[in-house]
Amino acid sequence: MAETVTLTINDKVITVPAGTLLIEAARQNGIHIPSFCYVKDLSLQAACRMCLVEVEKTPKLQVACTTVCTHGMVARTESKPVIEARRAVLEFLLTNHPLDCPVCDKGGECELQDMTFKYGPGTSRFIEEKEHQPEEQVSPIIFFDAPRCILCYRCVRICDEGMDVKALEPIGRGVKTIIGTGHDTLDCEDCGNCIDICPVGAITSEEYRYKTRPWELKYYGTVCTHCSNGCKTTLSVRNNTIIRANNRDRTGMNEDFLCVKGRFGFDYVGSSDRLKTPLVRRQERLEPATWSEAVQFVADRLGEIRKAGGPDSIGALGSPRLTNEENYLLQKFMRLIVGTNNIDHHRTGDYASLEAALARRDRREALLNVDQIKEARNILVIGDDPTTQQPLVAFNIRFAVRRRGARVFIINSKRIKLLRKAAGSLLLTAGKEAELVAFLAHHEKSLEQAAAEIGETPEALKNFEMELRGAEDLAILFGAEIRGNAVNDLVEWATTLPGAPRLMALSDFANSRGAMDMGVSPLWLPGYAPVHDAHTLEQLGRAWNGTLPNRKGLSQPEMFKAMGEGTLKGMLIFGANPAEPSANPADRSVDNDAVAALKKLELLVVSDLFLTETAKLADVVFPAASFAEKAGTMTNCGGQVQRLQRALLPLFDARPDLAILTELARACGALDWLHVPWTEVLKEIARLHPGYAGVSVSSLMRGEIPCTVLSARKEAWPDAGELHRLAASMRPNTSRSLYASGSLASHSPTLVQLQPRAAVQEAFVEKYQM
Amino acid sequence: MFSPQTEEKFSKLVSRYPSKRSALIPMLLFAQDEKGPLTGEIVDYVARYLHLTPLEVEEVISFYSMLTKKPRGKFHLQVCTNISCMLRGADKIWERVKEKTGLKPGQVSADGVVSIEEVECMGACTTAPALQVNYDFYENLTVERVDQLLEDLGRRKGPDTSPDSEQMESSPRRRHDAEHPRATRLLTAGMAAKDSRSLENFLAREGYQTAEKVLKSMNADQIIEEVKKSGLRGRGGAGFSTGMKWGFVPRQSPKPKYLVCNADESEPGTCKDRPLLEYDPHQLIEGMIIAARALECHQAYIYIRGEYRYLFNIVSRAVEEAYARGFLGKNIFGSGWNLELATHTGAGAYICGEETALLESLEGKRGYPRIKPPFPAVVGLYGCPTVVNNVETLSAIPHILKNGGEWYAKFGPEKNGGTRLFSVSGHVERPGNYEVPMGTTLRTLIEDFAGGVRQGHQLKAIIPGGSSTPILTADKIDTPLTFEDIAKAGSMLGSGAVIVMDETTCIVNVARVLTRFYAHESCGWCVPCREGTVWMRKIFNRYHDGFGRKEDIDLLDSVAKKILGHTHCPLGDASAMPVISAIKNFRSEFEEHLKLGACPLEKNLVAV
Repeated sequence: MAETVTLTINDKVITVPAGTLLIEAARQNGIHIPSFCYVKDLSLQAACRMCLVEVEKTPKLQVACTTVCTHGMVARTESKPVIEARRAVLEFLLTNHPLDCPVCDKGGECELQDMTFKYGPGTSRFIEEKEHQPEEQVSPIIFFDAPRCILCYRCVRICDEGMDVKALEPIGRGVKTIIGTGHDTLDCEDCGNCIDICPVGAITSEEYRYKTRPWELKYYGTVCTHCSNGCKTTLSVRNNTIIRANNRDRTGMNEDFLCVKGRFGFDYVGSSDRLKTPLVRRQERLEPATWSEAVQFVADRLGEIRKAGGPDSIGALGSPRLTNEENYLLQKFMRLIVGTNNIDHHRTGDYASLEAALARRDRREALLNVDQIKEARNILVIGDDPTTQQPLVAFNIRFAVRRRGARVFIINSKRIKLLRKAAGSLLLTAGKEAELVAFLAHHEKSLEQAAAEIGETPEALKNFEMELRGAEDLAILFGAEIRGNAVNDLVEWATTLPGAPRLMALSDFANSRGAMDMGVSPLWLPGYAPVHDAHTLEQLGRAWNGTLPNRKGLSQPEMFKAMGEGTLKGMLIFGANPAEPSANPADRSVDNDAVAALKKLELLVVSDLFLTETAKLADVVFPAASFAEKAGTMTNCGGQVQRLQRALLPLFDARPDLAILTELARACGALDWLHVPWTEVLKEIARLHPGYAGVSVSSLMRGEIPCTVLSARKEAWPDAGELHRLAASMRPNTSRSLYASGSLASHSPTLVQLQPRAAVQEAFVEKYQM
Repeated sequence: MFSPQTEEKFSKLVSRYPSKRSALIPMLLFAQDEKGPLTGEIVDYVARYLHLTPLEVEEVISFYSMLTKKPRGKFHLQVCTNISCMLRGADKIWERVKEKTGLKPGQVSADGVVSIEEVECMGACTTAPALQVNYDFYENLTVERVDQLLEDLGRRKGPDTSPDSEQMESSPRRRHDAEHPRATRLLTAGMAAKDSRSLENFLAREGYQTAEKVLKSMNADQIIEEVKKSGLRGRGGAGFSTGMKWGFVPRQSPKPKYLVCNADESEPGTCKDRPLLEYDPHQLIEGMIIAARALECHQAYIYIRGEYRYLFNIVSRAVEEAYARGFLGKNIFGSGWNLELATHTGAGAYICGEETALLESLEGKRGYPRIKPPFPAVVGLYGCPTVVNNVETLSAIPHILKNGGEWYAKFGPEKNGGTRLFSVSGHVERPGNYEVPMGTTLRTLIEDFAGGVRQGHQLKAIIPGGSSTPILTADKIDTPLTFEDIAKAGSMLGSGAVIVMDETTCIVNVARVLTRFYAHESCGWCVPCREGTVWMRKIFNRYHDGFGRKEDIDLLDSVAKKILGHTHCPLGDASAMPVISAIKNFRSEFEEHLKLGACPLEKNLVAV
C-alpha cells in the first residue's frame, strides 16, 4: 500500500495517500472547499484564491489547491478568516463583472452565481466605473465576452494541456488581461471544450447563445455516435428539439472532453432533409406510404424471392451506426426468419482477427479499453490519426503523457499531429505497416532489407525496436492498416514484450465493435462462434426457437458480386450507404459497379434517416429514428458498453430500427417477435453472448460502463486464413476528418460549415512546426 | 527582413539558452529597435524563428510595457511620475512635456518625430525628476531643461539615441558617498576612478584575484560556509540569508544548475544596483564566478531591466572582456572550472523582479510568479535548481571571500552583516546612493549623508525600504537600519530605498501614486491583486480629486486588508501596506481632504 498521511480538517481526522492536495483530501471526505481555477487533472494555478483555508502553524491563509497534505496538518475551511477571505474574493471578482445574469447564457448554471449565493456578499461597495471590453466573435462558433471572464485560465489549460492546440492565451496585463486569440480568429479544432469548462458566461457558442435558459431545458445524458470512442454527451432538449449538446456535468469516461462532432454535430437530427414517411416505389417513383403498407410490401416480396431463389438469394447489411440490440435483431432476423448467413456490414477495425489471435488467452488481460489509455506508461499507435479520427483516444493519450509521464511511440505514414507528443516514431511508406509488424514479430528479413522496404533507415528501425523492447506494459493501438494476418503478427510480437501489453483495434464508427460482436457477419455468430459451430447453433436454435443455417454466408463484396451476377435478388440495408461515392476518384469504377449491382436487385429495402444514394435506388425506404430518438447500447472501440438514452420523441414518422425489424418479422409470420424494449433484447444478448456476460441493464442504468471482451472462446479459429482473406476486403473510411463521419455529419449544417477549417489547421500546424 | 546586425544579434541570442524560447523577449525588443511597432509580420517572423505560435508571441508582447504594437515617434519621451520623481516635481515636468508637444499620451506628432508617455519608476530616483528619450536617461530635470531638450529634439538634434550606446554623457554621474568623511566603501570603493568600469582598472584593484584563489583552493561547502559566516542577507528586498539560500540547492541533482543575477531593479525609490552595474560590472562578474563555484553551476545569466539598456550594453561588454581574458568560459584561470555567463534584457515589467516571475520571463514567457513550493533552489530555470541573487548581493561576494565572512559580518550588528547601499531620494538636500554599514540610523543616513531634509522644511514621513514598505512617521528617524529594527518600527528594510518626505507632501497623493503603480504593474494572475489594486486606484483618484466620501477611508483600508496576505505573490502585500500605513499614520490628512473637498497641499507640489 502506498504511504499515507493523517491530517485533521475541521476537526475531522482523515487519512489520504501521501502527496494528496488539501482541496482533494477535503472533497474526498465530504468537505467542500470552493474554487474556480482548480480543475483536477489540469495544471495548478492558485489564481482565484477562492480555496484559501486556515492551516495551523502557517501565518497566512493557504490555497488548498496547491497545499500538499502533510502528517499532522490541521486545517480549517469554515473559520471566520476563511469565510471573510472568500467573501473578499467574490467581492473583488464582481467589481468588474457586468452582473448581466438576467441575459447571460450561463445564468442558472453559473459557478460565479452559485458561489456568490453561497459565500458572497449580498451587496457591493464598488461604485467606480467598471472596466469594459466589447464582446468578440472569435470563431464561427465561439464568442468571448471579456467583462464576464474571471480569468481562471481553465480554457487556456484545456486548450493547451488537454487539446494540444494552444489557441487561447492571456493577452494584456493586470486588470486589462483578457483571454485572447492573438488575431481575429481562433486557430483551433473547434472542440468547444472551453465553453464547457468556463465557469461563467465568458465563452459561449453560436448555436446556443441567447436561445433559452438552462432551467427550461431537459437533460439527457447519452452517447455521441459520430466515432467509435463513445463519449458521453448530454442533450439539452426543449419542445422536442435539441438545443445544444455538451458534457455539462463532466461525467462519463470523457469527463472534460468532447470534440466538435460530439458538441456541435447533433443538428442533423432536426434536419428538414430527414425522411418523413416510409416510401414505396410505384411506377419508378418513390411515393409516400403508410408503415403497414411498406412493411407488408417488404414481407410479401421477401417471401416471394425466398420461395423462388431460396434463403441465400436474400442478403442484408447491418451498420456500425445501429445499436447492439438492432444489429442483433437484424442478424437474428436473417438467420432465423430468412435462413441465411448473407449478412455483413462496413467493417473498419479488425476485431475478428484480433479475437482469433487472442484465442486461449485471457482477453481481459490482453485487451485495452479507452479508460486504460490514461493510466498507460508506454503507448504505441500504429496507423490511423487519433487526433482527427479518435478524438477521445487522442485526448487520453495526451492525458497519459501529461499526468503519468507516458512515452508515446508512433508508426505512421503521415506526419500526424500526435507526433508532437511522441518519444519515438517511424515514418514509413504508406501501406508498409503490416510488413513492419511482420518484421518485428519474425525477423525473417535482415534489418537493412526491412528498413529499405518500409522506407526508414536501419538505425531508426533498430533504435525504435530497441526502445519498444524496453517498454513495459505497452498499450498498443492499431488502425485498419493492421488487419488480417498482421494482427496475428502484432499479437505474437506483443507477447514477447515486457510486462503485460494490451491491444486495441481502432475503428471508424460508433458501434463498429458492437456490430462485429453481434455477429453481423457471414462467418461468425454472436460471440464469434463460426457459423458452422454445432454447439453454438444448437444453443442459439434452442433460445430462438428455430433452426439456423450452417452454410457460410456472403461477405459485403461477395454480395455485390452476386447481385451483379443475379444470384442475390433481395437486399435489406439498415443504416448503410454502400452507393455513396468514394472520396478517392480512383475508386469510382467500384462505385459504379455497386450502383449497377443494386439496380439489378428485385427488392432493395433501405432503412435510413436520409434519402441516401442507396435509398434513392430502393424499392422501399423506411424512415429510421436517429440516435436521439431511440434507446439501446453501443460498444466503443475499447469494448465498453454504454447506454443510448432517448431524448426526443421520434421526429416525423420515423421509427427506431428495433421496432422496424420487429414489425417486419411479425409481417413475415414470426408472431412470437413481440415489441419489446431494448432492455429485453440486451438481456438476451447477455445470456447468449459470452463476451457480454457481465453486461446488465441495471448496471447500465446506474451509469456504470461495463467492459466486454470480444468472446470467451478457448478454441482457435478453425480457418484463420478465411478470416484474414475477409479482412483484406475491409475498406477504411478515407473521407473522415475531425468534421466528418459519413453521411450523418454531411447533414449537420454546423459541421458542414466548419469543414474547411480542417485544412486551415493543417496548414497552421505545418507553418509553425509546433 | 532585418538588417545583418540585428540578424546577428538574433542568432547570438538563441545560442545562449538551452531553450530557444528564452530569446523571445530580447529578440522582440531588438526587432522593435530596428523596425518600430511589432507588426503581425514581425510576430510571424519571430514565431517561426523560435518555433512558437504567433499567439505565444502576442501574449508576451502584451505583457511587457516596453513592447508595443502601436507606432511611436522617433523620439519617444517617457516621463516618470512615480514617487521619487513626483516628490521632486515630476508632475510639472509631465505637464510641460504635454503642453510643449501638444500631444496626448500615446500620441505621435504629425511629423513622426515625438511621442510621449507617462511611465512608472525607471530607476532614476536619486536624480529625480527624470525622463527617458528612447533608452537615454535625462535626469535632474527642470522645466528649462525640458524646454531645451524638446527644442533639440524638434530640430532632430537629439543625442545619440541608438540603443547600442553605452555612454550617457548627458546624464550626470550618479552621486555616491565618495566625499563623505565617514564613508564605508566596500562595493563602491572602486567607483571614484573615472574608468572604474574598465577591466584594466578592475585588475589594478586586484580584481578577479579572489575568484582565482577561490576556484583553485576552495570547495563549494567552504565557500558557502564563508558566506553564511558573513551574515549577508539578500539585498533585493526579502533579506533572506544568502548562505542558506545557496545551501538549499540539491548538490546531488543530476540536472544542470543555474545562477541568475536579478538586475531587474524596479522597486520605486530604488536605484542602487544602477551604479554597481554602471561603474563596477567586473565586481559583479567576479561575484558570480564565485557564486557559481559554490553552487556547482556552469551557466549563469544576468537579467537586466529593459529600461537599463545602456547598462545592458556596459555589462555585456564587461562579460565579453572577461571571456577574452579567460575569466569566463572553459577552464577559468586554468582551474578546470567552466562557467558560461550571458546578459539578458527584460522589457518593462516590475513583477519580473519577483524571482519566479523573473525565471518565467527568462524562459521567454509572461512574467507570472510561480507557485511555491517548489522553490527555485529545487525547481527553477528550465525546471532545474536555480539561485536568483540581487546585483548588490553578488557584488559583495568577492569582498567576503577576500577578507573572510567574519570580517564582513563585523561591519554591522548581529544578523545584519556588512554594508548596504541605500538610495536616498525625495526631499533631501543631496539625494544619492550611499554605502553605509548595516545598523546605521536613518538619522545619520538622511542628515549626515544626504544633507538632511531640504532647507526650510521639516521631515514628515519616511518610506524606509522602497515603495512596498509601510510609511513611517518622522519620529522613527532614530531607528537603526537593520531588518529587525525597521520591522519593530512598523515597516520593512526592503530594497534599501529611503524615500524622504517633508511637510509639503500630501500623503493621500503618495498613496494614490503608489497604488497607481501597483495597479499598473499587477500581472493580473490572481484575483485580489488584479481587482483590488485597480479598485483602490479608482477610489484614490476620486478621493484626491475631492470627490471622496466619508466611508472611503475605511473602504480603502478594508480593500487593502483584503488584498493583504491573500495573493499569489508579494506584489499584493506590497500594494496594501503603504495604503494601510498611510491611513493608520495619517488618517487626519484623509479627513482633511473630505472637509476641504480638495487636496490641502496640492499647491506645495512644486519642483525643488
